[in-house]
Parts: sequence; structure tokens; C-alpha cells
Amino acid sequence: MPELGLEQEKPIVQGASMEITVSRQELLHELTAAQSVVERKTTIPILSNFLLEADEGGLTIAATDLDQSMKTSCVAKVKKPGSCTIPARKLYDYIKLLADGDISIKLMDNHWVQIRSGRSNTKMVGMARANFPQLPEFPSTSVTALPAASLKSMISKTIFAISNEESRYTLNGALLILKAESMAMVATDGHRLSLVEKHGENFPGITGEKKTLIPRKALAELQSLLSNTDVPIVEFADDENTLYFRIGHRTLTSRKLTGQFPNYEAVMPRDNNKFVVVKSEELGGSIQRVAQFADERSGAIRMRLEQNELKISSSSTDAGESEDTIETPYSFDPIMVGFNSSYMLDFLKAIGNTGEVRLEFKDAQSAGQMRPEDGTEEFKYRYIIMPMRI
Amino acid sequence: MGFSDFIGNEGTVRRLREAIALGRLPNSLILTGPRGAGKYTLAVMLAQAANCLVQPMTDGLPDFCGSCSNCSRIGQALPLEPRVEEAIAAREELRETDKKETRVLVQTHPDVLVIPPDPPQLLIKLGQVRTVVREIYRMPGEARRAMYIFTSAAFMKEAANSLLKVLEEPPAYATIILLAENTGELLPTIRSRAQILRLGALPLEEIERLLAERRSDWKPAQRALVARLAEGAVGRALKFNLEGYLTSRQDALLLLRSALAEPDHSALFRMTEAYRAGAEGQEKTSGLLRAVASLLEDLMLLLAGQPTMVRNIDLERELGTMSQSVSLTWIESAVKGMHQVESGMRRNLLRSLSLDSFAAGLGGQGRG
Repeated sequence: MPELGLEQEKPIVQGASMEITVSRQELLHELTAAQSVVERKTTIPILSNFLLEADEGGLTIAATDLDQSMKTSCVAKVKKPGSCTIPARKLYDYIKLLADGDISIKLMDNHWVQIRSGRSNTKMVGMARANFPQLPEFPSTSVTALPAASLKSMISKTIFAISNEESRYTLNGALLILKAESMAMVATDGHRLSLVEKHGENFPGITGEKKTLIPRKALAELQSLLSNTDVPIVEFADDENTLYFRIGHRTLTSRKLTGQFPNYEAVMPRDNNKFVVVKSEELGGSIQRVAQFADERSGAIRMRLEQNELKISSSSTDAGESEDTIETPYSFDPIMVGFNSSYMLDFLKAIGNTGEVRLEFKDAQSAGQMRPEDGTEEFKYRYIIMPMRI
Repeated sequence: MGFSDFIGNEGTVRRLREAIALGRLPNSLILTGPRGAGKYTLAVMLAQAANCLVQPMTDGLPDFCGSCSNCSRIGQALPLEPRVEEAIAAREELRETDKKETRVLVQTHPDVLVIPPDPPQLLIKLGQVRTVVREIYRMPGEARRAMYIFTSAAFMKEAANSLLKVLEEPPAYATIILLAENTGELLPTIRSRAQILRLGALPLEEIERLLAERRSDWKPAQRALVARLAEGAVGRALKFNLEGYLTSRQDALLLLRSALAEPDHSALFRMTEAYRAGAEGQEKTSGLLRAVASLLEDLMLLLAGQPTMVRNIDLERELGTMSQSVSLTWIESAVKGMHQVESGMRRNLLRSLSLDSFAAGLGGQGRG
């Protein structure tokens, strides 16, 4: 075999050779996790590639868009250690189409990579390993173990309130607040604010208060990682510029956002002493119906509280007008406040449209507060919405 | 490697290096100067000097090593054209739906983003500015100073407006550099938000000396001509495509001749016919217009009695005779006609036709 002669000369050039065998199912699993950070619309060619590195430990797969990076690994039979880059989307789409079984990946000359499985044989061209950006390494000190279930739930309760306006950069993420015995997450876009707290945690490494602003993209990535895993904890660390999350064998990094998250405690309403308790499902249904007839741009609806009645109404010059009445105990002074219907629906969706929700008001000019009416709930969840003038 | 490789404009370079030494590099900066003056080269050098891991000093001021991991990665962006071509090629390979929303960017170092004008319109577009606005608020990962270099002053209107906020107050660790041939192209609101530094023209003698040193393969007569045509810009002198210029100038002369002497329409139409649509034709047309401009400038100099400043020295005699039959008003109207062709090009007018009408207009307006 002429190949043998070549192989004996090659090993001097380390990294220029790589040969592994890996199970298709496992590879696909890890590629699925890693491909979500690969930026689809990039004109920087190397960023649309995966970095594959094989050593005694198995196969490591890395991807980055320079803001975030993801590193994951899977078991592989490594015949020759080494590394290569492969076009991410093409590889992912191709592996998806292969039948289950073993896949062999082999690096050839000029960055060509050969992928064989059963009777399929494919060659793809990657780029030089040296072009792949260096990825930040998970720090070895000051690592905090966050309970995965709490983190996941907190993300889903706050992520929708994060601002979409790129120029309001301090609001482009959710703030994670860790204290020795509690964790909390808060997000706002200036019109509504979502705060969720959980006590009874134990973070021995934290003294005082540790506040970290996590960009939305990283939260979304965490969310999808957490929904595909059953590991109990997420290891979290940060340094000057980067946030690190380790979920099992996967590591996500994200560059930090600059700037100070606003002082959210100052906007928490204190004397919202008029309240009403309604079923989430009933409230959600009413709001959805009424919102059909709200002004299209603002989505504004009126909430009117009178003797044992909550009236939700809207009117627009084009569509007409609509009113829903929910009967519920209420004995304070009558009040009428306007709110953006979609903000209210966001909250109801976040609590799963179940149970009862408590609406707290002060007057027509002050922020309203929504919270789940459930004494046993382990999370303390509060949602503040600025009123609208209608 | 180092600032010693940057030729000319010592004062400006020195001031910028002093600013780096004091840690006071402006957050927003406009570098202006003629084409080929070294604006981009200097911007990249600044990015290197601000982020060099070795931080060597020369003449008591910060310099860069060119070989550390920051310098070398930033330096990869220096040959801008191949990088932009790579980016465009990468975009071509995207899916049809993604293509439309993808803007050309060059980022050889994670914290140094180069924003070239986006083809085919060759304007800086909203998507590019949005990316800058998004990226700039992320802490630099490996650099001390994040750099955002806009290589052109031609912005889409919305793009320029959306840059204003971030330009006014970039984060402390970031610098935005705008490169402009003509600051007048930028919105006054952009100009007032940034410090403006000018790269001036080098004296003719200095360019000639430089050409003698680096371009010894050219004939002395060629060097003399190029030194004048480069208009004091180093980059332009060193990379001058004399052959291409001479071809364009041949066509430009044909245009002027047909306006000033008896028009030979068949020759004219045969020439303009060659200026077709597409990127190649666009380049060819702008080459032609530049040649026309330099000829008109020379005619003006001759009219003003300044024959020593004429750039196309090899055409002195012909330009001399031409200048006797033109007036300043004619030159002015010719320049206006030229601008019309230019703006027509942006609107994708048929090039051959707009050149024909330009030539006809020149003749029609009569001679001096």
C-alpha cells in the first residue's frame, strides 16, 4: 500500500493528521448542541467552521461567533490524534442524513477531510486550524455551582422582558444576582420588568452580592442546553471580559456586556394597595379577546376595577370596541389603568397560564404589579408594567 | 515592523502615538486624506500599537512589534482587498435568504472590526452599523482597546444616522475610526462628534525619492510621471497602475478631443461602447473619469499660467494646444458634466450612453 509510506513520513507534522471513528448518534447529538452558536450570516469564513480536536480523551468539537463559543466533546476511537476544521452547516446537514452506525473522519492534505460511513464516502474542505480563533478557557478558580433547574426556570421567567433595542445596551441582558443564600434574576426593557428570586440556596463561594449581566443570546443558548440535559448543576464562572457556563461536558462562554444595569429596586412599587386575584387562564383569554380590538401599534387595553368586577376593554377607530368582564372579589375604590396587552400576556405565558394571578395597583399613573397567587411557590416572582394613558 | 514603515505625515503619526502613550486615544476619530495617503494603513497600525503584547518603544513613543498574536492577527486585515473579496465570496456561498441580510465585514482579530463599503452599491449600510452598535458594548476579549474601522465615508442615510449615538459616546475601551477622502461626504453631525486628523500630501521630491528607492524597475520618465500623478499619496505612488491609467487617459483624451476639435463620432462610440455594465465596467468608468479629471486640472493649471505644476508631463504639448481653445467656464461645465456621469453610475444608468451624452455636452457647450 503506497499510503503506508506516506503515513510514516507524516507524524513529524503534528496536527496535520487526524483519524477517528465515532458513533453517528453521539456525534450528531454534540453537533446539534454546537451548531447553534455558529453564526449563519457571517462573512468571516472560519466562523462557519467547527473545530474538531482529537486526543486520548476523545473528540472535542468547538464553535464560535466571536461573541460566544461552545465547546463540547464525545467519545471517539482515536487512531491518530490531531485537529481540523470542517464547514459547520454542511457537516451537520450531512451527518443528519447518514444512517446510524460508525463514522470515520480523516484529515487529508490541504485541509480536505474525508468522512466515511457504511457505503457513503464524502470529502469536504476545511480551513487551516491556525485560523480558528482561540477560545477562552474555563477558569479553575471561583467557580459557582448553580442549580440547573432553578436557572432554567429563572431564564424562562425573565428572558422575554429583555430589551430588543440595541442602543439600550445595559438592558440587552438579564442580571443574575447571587447572594450566599439566594439567587435572583431580573430583566427589563424600560416598559416592564420581570424579577424572580429564590431563597434557600447555598453558594459557599459568594460573599456579599455578585451581580452579573448575562446577554440575551447567552441566555437563549443556556436555555436550549438546559432543556437537553439532566445534569443537576451548572458551573458558572467569570473573569474580566467573559462569562463561562459548564453544563456537563459542554462549555458555553460569552463576552460580557458593558455598563451598569439600572437600579431596579428603585422602581419596585411599594404601596400598590388595591389588588384583585383572578384565574390566569380566564384573564389570559379575556385579554386576548379584547386585544383584538386594541390600537394595533400600542396594543393598549383598559383594566377597570369596580365593585367585585374586573372589566377589560379596548377600542380602536378601525376595528371597533370590545369588553370582557371577570367577576372577582374587589372592595377597594374603583380604579382604571391602561396597559399594553402583550406585556400582560407575556407574563401569563411565563407562568404557564395556570393557577391564579394577583394584580396590584395604586392609581392610573403608577406601575402595576403582577405576581402568581400561590403561597407555596418556591420562586418569588414579580412583574411590573408601566401604565399607559388612553 | 513599526511606525517607521509609515511614510510621511510624521506630525499626525506622532500625535496619535503620544495619545496612545497617555492612554488617551480618542474614542471617535476621523482620518482624512486623499486616496492612497495611508489612512487605512495608519488605522491598522494604531490598532496594533494600542493592543501589542510586547509594546516596544521607539523614539520614546509606543510602537508595535508586528509579530505578537494580537499584532499579527490585526495585521492580517492590512491587505484589505483580498479580505473583502474573501468576505464577498463567503457571502456568495450563503443560502439565498441569508445572502440579502448579510453584510460584508472583516474581522481578523476578535476585537478589531473593519467595516468596508458593502457591494454592489459600495456604501456602508445599516446592517453593518447595527453590528457595530451591538458588538461595541461587549467587552473586548483579547485586546486592550477594541477598534472599529469604517473604511469609507459613503454611508447610506439611515446607517449614518444610526451611528450617531454610539459615535458620540463609545464605551471607554473602544475607538471608532472613520476613514474619509473628503470629510464633506460625512454628515455634519458625524464630523462634530469625532476628532478629525488630516493626512496631507507629500512633497513631489519626497515621492520621487521614494519611487527611485522602491520602484527602481521603472524608467525615470515613468517615475517622474507617476510621482506627479500620485498627488502626494504614498500608497497611490507605490501601487500606481501606469498602464491602466494610460489606457484610461487615452480614452479621456478622445473624449476631450472630440469635444474640442472636429468630433469623430465613430471612434467615440467605439470607445464608449467598451464601458459596459457590471463591476469591471464600473471600475473602468471611474478610471476614465479620474483621467478626465486630471486632464481638466492640467488644462486649468495651464490656463492659470502654472505650467510647472502640470501632472501629465508627457502630454505637455498637446495639453498646451488644447488649453488655447478652452475657457474656465468650459472647464467648470465639464466638471459638472463629470459629476453627473458619476451620480448616474450610482443610479445604474447605462454607462456608454451617459459617457456619450457627456461628450456631446462638452462639444455642445462650445469652446472658449
